Formats: sequence, C-alpha cells, structure tokens
Amino acid sequence: MSERAQVAERAEVAYRALADLAETIEDEWQYVTDLADAYLPSIRAMGVGPEAGSVLTPEAEAAADEAIAEIALITDPHKAIDWLSTFPHVVALALGGDADEPTGDKPADAGQDVGGQDGFGPEPESDSPFRILRGDR
Amino acid sequence: MRFQDAARDARAVVYAGIQADPLVARVASLLADATTAERWLARAVMNGERTDPDRWRSMFPTLFGATVKAATRDRAAVLLAACLEVANRGEQARSSYRGAVVEELTARLLARRSAPVRRERRVLFDGVPAEIHPYDVTVEADGRPEVYDCKWGARGINADVLNQLDDARANAAEEEIALRVAIVVFDARRSCELRLARSTARHDGTSLVALEAIDSLGKGGR
Repeated sequence: MSERAQVAERAEVAYRALADLAETIEDEWQYVTDLADAYLPSIRAMGVGPEAGSVLTPEAEAAADEAIAEIALITDPHKAIDWLSTFPHVVALALGGDADEPTGDKPADAGQDVGGQDGFGPEPESDSPFRILRGDR
Repeated sequence: MRFQDAARDARAVVYAGIQADPLVARVASLLADATTAERWLARAVMNGERTDPDRWRSMFPTLFGATVKAATRDRAAVLLAACLEVANRGEQARSSYRGAVVEELTARLLARRSAPVRRERRVLFDGVPAEIHPYDVTVEADGRPEVYDCKWGARGINADVLNQLDDARANAAEEEIALRVAIVVFDARRSCELRLARSTARHDGTSLVALEAIDSLGKGGR
C-alpha cells in the first residue's frame, strides 16, 4: 500500500468515527448518512487512482494527519456535523485530491427532484448572471 | 412590493452588536478577497477545536508550506489570525460571529456590482401578511431587487428558510416583479446539494451560492 493510500485510509477511519458521533443527533441522521455516503468514497479515492503512486511530501502527510487529529478532538455531535463537510476538503487540499469526486451522489431516494442543471434552481438563461451566482463556473 | 427595516427585538439588538464588531468587518474584508483554499482555512479555523496557529499552518501546506511565496503565506497568516480571534470568542459567541461574517461577506461582494445593498430588511407585499424574519441581505436596485439568506453551514438550510424565500419570489411575481432569491452558504456546495435533495420545501426558483463560488456574488449584474 502506498503512503498516499495509507494516509487516505487513516482519514477514512477518522471520518467514519466523526460520522458515528454526528449521527447521534437523531434529527440529522439522514443528512449525516448522506454526507458520509458522498464523502467516504471521495476520501478513499484520494489514495487510489492514477496519482496514488505519486510522491507524498512530508508536508502533505503531516497536514492530513493534523486534520485527522483535529477531528479526533471533537466531542460535540453538532460540531461533528460541521466538520463532516469541511474535513474532506481540507484533506483534499493537503493531498492534492478532489473532495467532490466521485460525483453523482444525489440521494437515490430523495423526495423531490430539484431540477436545474446543477440540482438547484431553474435552468438559467444563457445570459443570466445568476448562472454565475449558482456557481456554474 | 417594498422593502422595510425590520423591527428589532431584544435578540436582534444583541446580534446587532456582534454585526457591528470591527472583527466581523475585518474577517469579511479578508474573505472577500480570499482564495478558495483560504476560505476553507477560515471555515476550518472558525469551526475548530484548537487555537494554536502552528497547528493550522501545518494543516494547510498550500498556504503556509516552505515553498509557498512569502506574500501568499503572509496573507494567509493575517486571515488565520483574524479567524482565530473569532474562534477565541468562545463556543457561544462564535456561532453568532460566524453568521455575521457570512452576512457581511455577502453584502460586501454584492456591493461590488449593485447598490443599494441593505441588511436586515423585510419585504412587504400587497395583501400578504409580513414575514416574521427579515432577510439578511437585500439588493434594492429599482426594477431588479434581490434577497439573500446567509448561512454558515449547509445544516442551516431548512424548510422555513426555503419556504420564505420561495414565497417572496412568488409574491413578487404576482406583482410582476422578478425578485431574485438566493441562499448563501459558507460551506461545501456538495453538502448543500445533499441537504437540498432531501428537502420537500419548494426551492426550484431559489439560487444557491456555496463557498466555492462565493466570488460570483460580486460579478455581473442582472
């Protein structure tokens, strides 16, 4: 197993523990589950694929481990939810991965088809600045 | 349709004190010109447990690493220091500060392309009972009004917020006014979309501006 894969595995374990803590907020169980379903494959993917064999700098490994140490300190499940959406992006910055890959993680049994090209809002007019506002960049 | 200042209850008066804290303006000003990586740093620090800046420098090598340009490191260090000031306000206060920062950031970015930009405003419609909660930020330009609700995290997206925004849009449409409604969330777009996918509140006419694309608030016009 490459160093990168080992770091990604440590991050995945830490993220699972964070999700376990977060899901103790019963009202947010579904959201926590959706976050974990979306981000765990992304974290795992940072350790595999074409870049898995690339050299992992000591700085990058230390950064990921620092993020892992940070979330290990969390005892408040509400704060854990905040970190479920933050941690993957911090690790991605450290390792040079993409926390939004793989995509296509819209919950399969979601109650409403939100429509629109990115799942939020109406299809924008081609000259609409709200296309930019919606983040279609 | 018209805008109106919201009446201030005791809670709003307390919150107004936080909104007026120079620290909020300082953090928002730094975030307005920040990179996406710097914004992730800010979110992490203001969510964080630890307040030792060295820990955060280690966590973000793309901002503080040995090979990073001094100017980049210096700019990130200023942002880190400001965010740690927010974190050091304590657990109770920091959530209010974070909310105020997102509102101030939104207002500053919108002001780059539109005026007037106002805060804590209600929108009144003929024959419709007034909403309880004011909008965090509004753009009140003639003929192209916009209203924004601001959230620190995707978890803040809920049916009440979405319904209020959509009701405003629909009521404006009844008066043949194209009111743009949007929610600004200082969180990952992916998390916001997951949150929205489970919502049964109507939001197909509401725009989302997440952390990664927050610069778009200041670009273009309608």
